Amino acid sequence: MEQAGKSPPLKFDRGTLLLRHPPPKRVAHLCRRDARGEGWRCDALHYKAVAQALNEEARAYLVEIAGRGRITWPQANLPRLRPDQEAAAAAWMQSRRGVLVMPTGTGKTEVALHIMHRVAAPTLVVAPVRDLMYQWHRRIQERLGYDAGIIGDNTFNKRPVSVTTYDSACIYMQDFGNDFGLLIFDECHHLPGPMRSDAARMSTAPFRLGLTATPERSDGREAALDGLIGPVVFRFPLAQARGTILADYEVQRIPVYLSALEQARYDQCSETIRRHMLERRQEDPEYSGYDLRREYAKSPEARQVLAALRAKQSIEDRASEKLRVLADLFRLHPDQRVLVFTGSNAMAREVSVRFLIPCLLHHCRKNERRQVLEGFRDGRFRAIVANQVLDEGVDLPEAKIAVVLGGLSSAKQAKQRLGRILRRRGQEQALLYEVVCRETKEEARSRRRRNSDAYQGTRHFRTRP
Amino acid sequence: MLTKELAIFELDRDRLVPERLTRHRHRHYLGYARAMLSIYAKGLGCTRQELHARVKALFRGEPDCPPQRIAAFCKLLDEDRVAQYETDRRGQAAALRLKVFTLAGPMHPLVEVRDRLFEHAETEAKESIARQLGRSTWAQVEPELFADVFECNRLQQFTGYASPEALLSRYNVAQVQAALFRATRLRIEARADFQRIITHAKLARLLHDIRPGPGAGYTIILDGPASVLRETRRYGADMAKFLPALLSCRDWRLEAEVRLRGYGPPVRLELSSESGLKSPMPPPPEFDSSVEAAFARKWGTEARNGWSLRRAGRILQQGQTVFVPDFVLNHADGREILLEIVGFWTPEYLRAKIGKLKLFQGRSILLAVAERVASKWKDRPAGLILYKTALKLDGVLEALEAGWPRA
Repeated sequence: MEQAGKSPPLKFDRGTLLLRHPPPKRVAHLCRRDARGEGWRCDALHYKAVAQALNEEARAYLVEIAGRGRITWPQANLPRLRPDQEAAAAAWMQSRRGVLVMPTGTGKTEVALHIMHRVAAPTLVVAPVRDLMYQWHRRIQERLGYDAGIIGDNTFNKRPVSVTTYDSACIYMQDFGNDFGLLIFDECHHLPGPMRSDAARMSTAPFRLGLTATPERSDGREAALDGLIGPVVFRFPLAQARGTILADYEVQRIPVYLSALEQARYDQCSETIRRHMLERRQEDPEYSGYDLRREYAKSPEARQVLAALRAKQSIEDRASEKLRVLADLFRLHPDQRVLVFTGSNAMAREVSVRFLIPCLLHHCRKNERRQVLEGFRDGRFRAIVANQVLDEGVDLPEAKIAVVLGGLSSAKQAKQRLGRILRRRGQEQALLYEVVCRETKEEARSRRRRNSDAYQGTRHFRTRP
Repeated sequence: MLTKELAIFELDRDRLVPERLTRHRHRHYLGYARAMLSIYAKGLGCTRQELHARVKALFRGEPDCPPQRIAAFCKLLDEDRVAQYETDRRGQAAALRLKVFTLAGPMHPLVEVRDRLFEHAETEAKESIARQLGRSTWAQVEPELFADVFECNRLQQFTGYASPEALLSRYNVAQVQAALFRATRLRIEARADFQRIITHAKLARLLHDIRPGPGAGYTIILDGPASVLRETRRYGADMAKFLPALLSCRDWRLEAEVRLRGYGPPVRLELSSESGLKSPMPPPPEFDSSVEAAFARKWGTEARNGWSLRRAGRILQQGQTVFVPDFVLNHADGREILLEIVGFWTPEYLRAKIGKLKLFQGRSILLAVAERVASKWKDRPAGLILYKTALKLDGVLEALEAGWPRA
């Protein structure tokens, strides 16, 4: 039973620190009086500052915090870092907290593994998706000989060194936030956000490493990373990476046309929408898509119009000619590994069933993912298709050809998708095919994509193979 | 429970009113509910996708039906409690996929029509793979290929809801829960059933702050550890989980603080025991044991020697430890004594109870202890009322006259 009189002076309490006595002046601004627990509280994040302040006041504090043990790596097998990678590691080691901005393909995982090795503290690696979590698990095994615990994907196996996803970290950090000394946030631009931030706030870990190619967020919240992880301590711009470390790459855009039937349905949908908007704008010139969505609940007509909008999108996404183009691209590169990205799970399954190539979707369990990726690596599968699972960082070093069949247009996604095929391998050039419907919104999206930083300096030409 | 995306509510200035299907305005929904239950009952063997499409089709001509409402109904019909789907736990579909893709690997790419360069045409290749798997046609293989995908799971069993009304009342509670996912704090004014409220708040891992009033009741504020540092919605799901327990209690008023977005002022959700929402939980028992029930019955409603008896009307608290003694005795002259009956319980229960009593040593608590329990209680304090099977009025009245307990 919890008894107020016996609680320790400083205690980790579900993601917060509970102080029994008034906090030292230096950290008082971080703490709040908590009448419910008869003490003061602050975010676990401030553990180091609070503990230091308490020690300076020379009060005899018993501090009940785990995660300060030292890890001995069973079998370290780390290749030497390149000078630029070493510079990144050294920059971080100075303060042991902060963000490294390194584009995909510059070996940020290697840098992180070296840092883990040097710090040798209980470590939690937080990855954006399950595939990446498993990839980290594999890399830790290969490079440090350690069989890391897995938290996520319906598994809860916590070990002194563990891997997890952002969602699991956000949910469970309140329970194990005092068990780790080092936190590594892979693709750390995912961290800011009112709830996600708890993955960093609710931990006492004094050492924090953020890895990202693209710290910028469209909501401008990247500033929060400073408090949650630390400042940017190293920046490796993409333009510098291209051509030196990374293979050169080329973007080819392939326009497709809707079939007569698809075009007819597409036009019919467009007409439904156009007529509705026209009618409504006669009554209300300001009438917009937003108003339309608001009417959805009450009006069967609005529902029809929105259904038409969705149907248009789906026609674009799943245009049958895309499958024909894909067949041609497969013929063009029969001996090379080809990665296919689609705009939806349904399209990914359609591609999978048409060509009998594996698809990596969210429902795939650990074992299946591993076998598919292994099969892709050793050539049993020459092509695989994915929706967004592969968007970030899944390790596919030898894929040189990627095909994008629709998808979202944010600059970040384009960069990361490019990153998939930009891995260095001799002088071989990488190719990204973008298959877009002509005369539709998708073309505008593709234009926007090409304007982002990642594409600058690449050659574009229109071809129809 | 639903997800927060499925919450439907109206805003009346700063008041959030979760959607509620009523007999008055939504009479025709009883028919829909009946039809939905029948779709599921007759839908054994169908995929989730097919069932949802049928439910959706039901509402095609309905002018009053937001899409989240349909999705919410589907979600409630799919709940583990009422429906079981074949989820392919043994990974048969995944194994089949790997086999098919491995067999197809050497034939890549499968072209539409074979030519001099590529000799494997899609249709022939698929039929040949089907034969290698021991099936007669590809058409038998294809539907199984993605049977483990959520929307392709097949319905195995449907226990459903007791009646169309039960589905609608579950829906109404689920909508309040969905609104609570965005709640940052609950404020409950309670006049009864304190123990259940606090116990279930604890089970939902919420922290409480209890203040006396208004009137003879208490105000219980529930949120989580980090709530004192910043307004956070991270405990909203816990609050939603707690709601059914509150709905089963008597005589309370709830005000929830809800944040719809990160910015803008918070809104309030109000609810009370008179709101008419049905809890899936049975109401709390009036008495914890037959000894308590018998004692209260014997005492009756009148005052005895100036003392009147009330059931569990006081909350004692120290930090997050709370103690609600079984009875409150009030004397006409203003004195108040708490009465706790320690009946026949396990050693762990006794240990916890003793710990609690020590914590509240300074309070006037009169203890009535079963003799069998008392014999196992080492260093028990003086001034206990001992009883064999039933607690007698005289024993208690004598102790009160003698000035027990001495605080």
